[in-house]
Amino acid sequence: MTTPRDTGSSGGAARGGPRTLAEELRARPDGALAGLLRARPDLLNPVPGDLTQLATRAGTRASVVRALERLDRFALQAAEALAVAPDPCPYGTLSALLTGDAPEGDPRIAEALPRALATLREQALVWGGEDRLRLVRTARELLAPSPAHPSPTGLGPTVAEATAGMSPGRLQQIIATAGLPGTHDPVSAVAALTALFEDRTRMAELLAGAPAEATAVLGRLLWGPPYGTVTADPAPHLRWLLDRGLLLPATPGSVVLPREAALHLRAGRAHRTPEPVAPALAPATPHSVHTVDAAAAGQAFTALGTVEELLAAWESDGPLVLRAGGLSVRDLKRAAAVLDTTEETAAFWIELAYAAGLLASDGEVDERYAPTPASDDWLRLPTEQRWARLATAWSAATRTPGLVGSRDAKGRPLNVLGPELDRSPAPEVRRRALALLATLPPGASVTADTLLERLHWERPPRTPAEPGTEDLRTRLARWALAEAELLGVTNRGALSAPGRALLGPEGSPGTKPLSDAEQGACAVRAAALLAPLLPEPLDHILLQADLTAVAPGPLKRPLAQMLGVLADVESKGGATVYRFTPASVRRALDAGQTAADLKAFLTEHSRTPVPQPLAYLIDDVARRHGHLRVGAASSYLRCDDEAMLAEILADRRSAPLRLRRLAPTVLAAQAAPDALLEGLRAMGYAPAAESAEGDVVVTRADARRTPPRTAPAPVPEGPPVPDETLLGAAVRAIRAGDLASTAERKPVAAPAPADGGLPRTTSADTLATMQAAVLTGAAVWIGYVNAEGAASQRVIAPVRVEGGFVTGYDHTADEVRTYPLHRITGVAELADEHA
Amino acid sequence: MSCLIVQSDKTLLLEVDHEQADACRRAIAPFAELERAPEHIHTYRVTPLGLWNARAAGHDAEQVVDALVTYSRYPVPHALLVDIAETMDRYGRLRLLKHPTHGLVLESTDRPVLEEILRSKKIQPLVGARIDPDTVAVHPSERGQIKQTLLKLGWPAEDLAGYVDGEAHPIELAEDGWALRPYQQQAVEGFWHGGSGVVVLPCGAGKTLVGAGAMAKAKATTLILVTNTVSARQWKHELVKRTSLTEDEIGEYSGTKKEIRPVTIATYQVLTTKRKGIYPHLELFDSRDWGLVVYDEVHLLPAPVFKFTADLQARRRLGLTATLVREDGRESDVFSLIGPKRFDAPWKEIEAQGYIAPADCVEVRVNLTDAERLAYATAETEEKYRYCATTATKRRVTEALVARHKGEQTLVIGQYIDQLDELGEHLDAPVIKGETSNAQREKLFDAFRQGELSVLVVSKVANFSIDLPEATVAIQVSGTFGSRQEEAQRLGRVLRPKADGHEARFYSVVARDTVDQDFAAHRQRFLAEQGYAYRIVDADSLLAGEEA
Repeated sequence: MTTPRDTGSSGGAARGGPRTLAEELRARPDGALAGLLRARPDLLNPVPGDLTQLATRAGTRASVVRALERLDRFALQAAEALAVAPDPCPYGTLSALLTGDAPEGDPRIAEALPRALATLREQALVWGGEDRLRLVRTARELLAPSPAHPSPTGLGPTVAEATAGMSPGRLQQIIATAGLPGTHDPVSAVAALTALFEDRTRMAELLAGAPAEATAVLGRLLWGPPYGTVTADPAPHLRWLLDRGLLLPATPGSVVLPREAALHLRAGRAHRTPEPVAPALAPATPHSVHTVDAAAAGQAFTALGTVEELLAAWESDGPLVLRAGGLSVRDLKRAAAVLDTTEETAAFWIELAYAAGLLASDGEVDERYAPTPASDDWLRLPTEQRWARLATAWSAATRTPGLVGSRDAKGRPLNVLGPELDRSPAPEVRRRALALLATLPPGASVTADTLLERLHWERPPRTPAEPGTEDLRTRLARWALAEAELLGVTNRGALSAPGRALLGPEGSPGTKPLSDAEQGACAVRAAALLAPLLPEPLDHILLQADLTAVAPGPLKRPLAQMLGVLADVESKGGATVYRFTPASVRRALDAGQTAADLKAFLTEHSRTPVPQPLAYLIDDVARRHGHLRVGAASSYLRCDDEAMLAEILADRRSAPLRLRRLAPTVLAAQAAPDALLEGLRAMGYAPAAESAEGDVVVTRADARRTPPRTAPAPVPEGPPVPDETLLGAAVRAIRAGDLASTAERKPVAAPAPADGGLPRTTSADTLATMQAAVLTGAAVWIGYVNAEGAASQRVIAPVRVEGGFVTGYDHTADEVRTYPLHRITGVAELADEHA
Repeated sequence: MSCLIVQSDKTLLLEVDHEQADACRRAIAPFAELERAPEHIHTYRVTPLGLWNARAAGHDAEQVVDALVTYSRYPVPHALLVDIAETMDRYGRLRLLKHPTHGLVLESTDRPVLEEILRSKKIQPLVGARIDPDTVAVHPSERGQIKQTLLKLGWPAEDLAGYVDGEAHPIELAEDGWALRPYQQQAVEGFWHGGSGVVVLPCGAGKTLVGAGAMAKAKATTLILVTNTVSARQWKHELVKRTSLTEDEIGEYSGTKKEIRPVTIATYQVLTTKRKGIYPHLELFDSRDWGLVVYDEVHLLPAPVFKFTADLQARRRLGLTATLVREDGRESDVFSLIGPKRFDAPWKEIEAQGYIAPADCVEVRVNLTDAERLAYATAETEEKYRYCATTATKRRVTEALVARHKGEQTLVIGQYIDQLDELGEHLDAPVIKGETSNAQREKLFDAFRQGELSVLVVSKVANFSIDLPEATVAIQVSGTFGSRQEEAQRLGRVLRPKADGHEARFYSVVARDTVDQDFAAHRQRFLAEQGYAYRIVDADSLLAGEEA
C-alpha cells in the first residue's frame, strides 16, 4: 500500500477531487481559511507566502502535534481510526471503524462523526472528498501504530507491513496452512491472506478450528498492545497461530497480531469504547445562590486577610532567596505556621501575592523577599477591589504552586517562587474549568471528578498518563478548582456571582479569551458584585475584664493596625480576639504611645467601659516603661569634682569630644578613650585612663608585643637524614622487592625512571609511539591513571590503536586489556633487555 | 445580625447581650465547651470530645451544623462544617454490645474501621475471637481499656453493653423542708438518662445533693470516692441529713477506719496507697456488688483510680466536678472511663438564680520594700516565688485587711506553713494545716461555723470540700504557683449563699513586679473567664482608706 504524496503526484484529479492539501485549501472559502488560522495560530508565524507554503507548514510535525493535542476526544478517535484505515478512506469505512460491525450502527456516533470530521477538516488535518478522506501524512505517521509508539487504538501493523521481508517460502507455508490456494507471487499471497482476514465468514470458520489456548492468546492481544513474545520453540497453540499468519513475527523473539485479524476479533471497531459525546455535567446537590455567594464572599475576605498577613509578616523579616531562586522549604514551613495553614495552601498564597505583584525579591546582595511598593497601593484599595486584583492576577497566572514539593526532570525539588513553576496551559485550563461551571445555573455545582472527566474529554492527552498518575492538564484543573475555592471564586463547587462576572461579560462568561480592557471591565463588575456581600468594616471593639478585646467583625484599617500593636491576636475568623499582655502594651509604648493615648484610644473605640484591670495594666506597664535608659558611648569621663566637669563641658574646645552629662559626676563622650585623653591633655588637664575594672591604667611608653609565638622551624633542603633503623628496614624492603620481581617473568619488572615518577610524553608522542609499537610488536612502558585517579605503571604490548583506545597485552596483569589513550600519562620504549 | 461568630480555630464567640443569645447558647451548649465567660462575649470551643459528647447525648451532625449556620453572623467556612460532620460521624461506628452467647462484643457498622482498629497493636491484646466480619469478642475485663484506646485512636465506641443493677438497697431523699433545686434535678435526670457520666457544677452549688439524688434513683449499694477524710465526713453528714440513710448504713473507708457498709465513702488516698508494689485496698471495689460509683472532684482523680475505673465499666458511674479542666490534660480519660458530660451549668447562671453568692474579687498589689526587692533579686530561681509570696510586707497588708473586715467570718488561705504560722500568731487565729488532726479540724470548723471563731488560717489541706457556710471574706496570701483549679476552689469557699445576702470578698495579696504577680495573673484569668471581674488595687491606697 503506497501513500500518495500530499503535494505533487497525480491522484483523483480525474474524478474532480483535490489532488493535494494545498489544492483543497485553495478551494476553501476565506472564512474556512480564517478558521484554520484561528484554530492553529502557529501557522501564522511568520505569515506563509502562499497556500502551498501554508499546506506544507500545516504538515510539519511540530504543528501537527500541537493541533492533535488540541482535539477533543472523539475527533482524536476519528483521526486515530483514519490512521489505521486505508488511505484514502471512504466515509463509510471510517464510520464502520468507529461503530463496528453492528448493522444498525451507533446513532450517537452517526450524529457526532460529521462534526468530528468537520473539526479535523477545519484544522487541515483531513482533506479530500467524502469518499476519499485523507489524513495529513504527518498525522498519520504520528497516530499509526509502530512498535516504538503503540497506537492508542491498540492495533498492530497490517499483514502487508508485518510480512514485509518475510521469505516467500514461509509465506507459501502460511497461506497453505490457512487453507488458501498456493501462489508463488508474494504480493498476491499477502493480498490473499489480507482478504481472508477481512472476510468475516471465512475468518470465523478459520478461528472456529483454533485450540482454546490459542483463542485465549488472541484475546490477550486483542485490545493491545498487540505484541507478544515467543520462545524459539513455541508451544503447540502458538505454533497453530503462527502457522496461519494470525501471529506474525515482528522482531526476533516477538510476534504481533496483524491489524486485519484484530479488527475481525473486535467486530470491526478501532476503539474499545468510542466516546462520541462529551460527558454531561450532571449537577450535584444545588445550593442556594445566597449561600454560595455569602460563603464565597466570606472566603474572599479570608483570602485578603491571609495575603495581608503574609505581606505584614514579610515586611520586617522577609525570607532569603535561595541561590537557585525561590523560597527554602524551611521558610515555606514558617510561612505556613504564620498563616496557620498547610504548606500547600501557604505556597498558593505566596505565589498568588507574587503573581499579583505584591511581593518580590529585593535584589540586594543579601537577597530577600519583601512586599513591593505596589502592595502599599493595593492595601489602600477598597476591599472588593483588592479581591478583584488578586482574582484577575490569579486567572492569568501561569505559575502553578501545585507543583511545589515535586521534582523537575533533573530530580531537583521545585520551590515556591522558584524558577520552573510556570506551566503555560494553566490559565487556559483554569478558564475552561470555570467556563464549564459557568454553563450551570447559579448555585449549581458539579463534583470535581465530573468536571475533570469533561475536561479530559475535551482535551485528551495524546499519550495516556501512566497508571496511578494524572496528566498535567488534569492536575492543573484539579489545582485550579481548589484554588478557586480558596479565593472565593467558587464555593461548594459552584461559581459565585463575582467569580462568574470575572469570567467575561454577562450572558457569555468564559466563552472567549478576553482582551486586557475587557478583563478590566469584568474585574470592575466582579468587585461591584462582591462589595455588598462583604462584611462592613467596624470601628468599635468590645473590651472584657479577662484582658481581651473582641472585634465582632472586620475592623477599619487604622483601628486594626493600632490594635495589632497594642494587643496580640488570639483567634481569627469572622471576628478577631485580641489579648492584652504586659509585652503587647510595652510594644505600643515602644511605638511612641503614652499610657494616656492608649486609654483614650480604647475608650474611644470600645463599646463597653474599659475594664479596671486593663487600665491598671496599661498604667503599670507605663510606670516601668523607660525607667531604665540604655544608650551607647565610646568613653566616659568621671570626676568627683562636679565643678570641674561643668567647666570642661562649658569649654568650647571640648565640643569635638561630644560630651554629655549623665550624672553630676559622669560625662559620656562619643570620642574614643585615647582621643578623649588627648583632647583633655590639649585643654591642659591631666586625665588618667581607667581600665574596665576601674583601675587606673599606668601608661608607659611601652613597646608593642605580639601574643606568644613559637619560633619558625627550619626548612631543610632535602629530606631529613634517616636514622640507622629506618635505613636498615628500607634496604631490606628494597632487597625483598627486587628478589620477588626478578624471580618472576622478566618483562614484568618495569624500570624505574630516573626521577621515580610516571613516564610523561605529549599526547602526540604517545600516539606515535603506540602506533609504532603496534607495527613492530614491541612492548612499551606506560604510566596509567585509572578511573579512581590512582596512578600505576604498566608494561604492555599494543595490538590495536583506535577510537582513542589502545588494546594490548598487559605484561603486568598478564592479560589483554584496553586503555583509553587520554588516561595514559606517557609512554617509553623498554630497554632491549626487557623486551 | 446574629449573635454567634465562628472563628477559624473552631472557637465560637457568643455575644451575651444579644436578644438571641439565650436560644443560641442552648443550641450550641450540647457540643461546644464553654471556655471563657467574661462579661460581654463568651467563648465556646468545638472539640472532638465535645462533638462526641453531643453524639452520646443523641444529637447528630445535622443539628450541630444547623445551629452554627442558623446563628452565625458570618458565613461558616465550609471546611469547618465538613470537619464537624466527619468528626461526629466517627462516633458510634463501633459499639460495645452484650451478645447473648459471646458476652461482650465490639460491633461495627463500618467494616474498614473495624479492620483498621484491629490492626492496631494496642487493640490486639484487648479483643478475642472474630465472631463474624462485623463483630469481635472483647474480654469483659478490658471494657474500659478498649474504650480508652479506641478514643485515642479517634474512633470512640458507644457503650451499649448496659450496667449491672448491683445489690439493691433502699435509699430515699428526705425532702423535709427542702427540695432539690431545679438544676440539681436536671443534673440527676441527665445523668440517669445517660447511664454514666459527669456533672459539672460550680463550688457551692450543691454537688453532694446531686450525688444523693443519683443514689435515690439507683436505690442500690453505692461506693463514693472523695478527696480526703474531712470531705468524707461531710458527705456522711450530708447523706444522713438529706436521705433516708442512717449512720449505720454509711461506712467510711479511710486511713483510720475500714468500714464496708451498703454506702461506703472511701478516700482517693487510701485507694492509691501502695504496699510492696500492690494496691492492698483495691479489693474494696469487689467487696460488694456496687450499683453506683460516685467520684467527687473528678478533675483531681489520681491516675491509679483511672486504672481501677477501667475495670468498673459495668457499674453506673457518676463524676462530680466544678471544672473539667485538668492540669494534667486527661480530660479524654474522664470521657472514656467515667463518661461524657451529662450536665453543665455556668457559675454566673447559678449565681443569677441566687443559689450561690456573688463575689467581689480584688487583687491587692503590695509594694515590696527596697530591702525586700534586693533580697528577691538575689534569691535563687526556685526560691523566688516562696520569697516574694511570704514577705513581711504582705503579712502586714494581710493583717490590715483582716482588721478592716473585723467581725466578718474571714479565711486566710496560704501555701507556706511557716508563713501561715506567723500569720496565725499575729492574727491570734488558729492554723489548720496537714498535721492538724481530723478531730481538731472538725472542732475548729465547728467553732467557725458557730461564729465562735471569726478568723481561720488554713493551708492547702482546706482547698477541697470543706464546708464553711458563713465565710464572707477570703484572703489568699500564697498558692500553688499558677494553679487555676486552686483558685476556683478557693473562690468556692466564699461563694456559698450568705444568710444576710452580704456580698462576699475575695482578696489576693500579691507582691508587685515579682513572679507572684505573674502567677496571680494566670490564676485570675480563670476568674475573669468565669465571669468574675476582679479589680486591682494598690495596697497603699486600699489601706489609706480610698477603697470602701
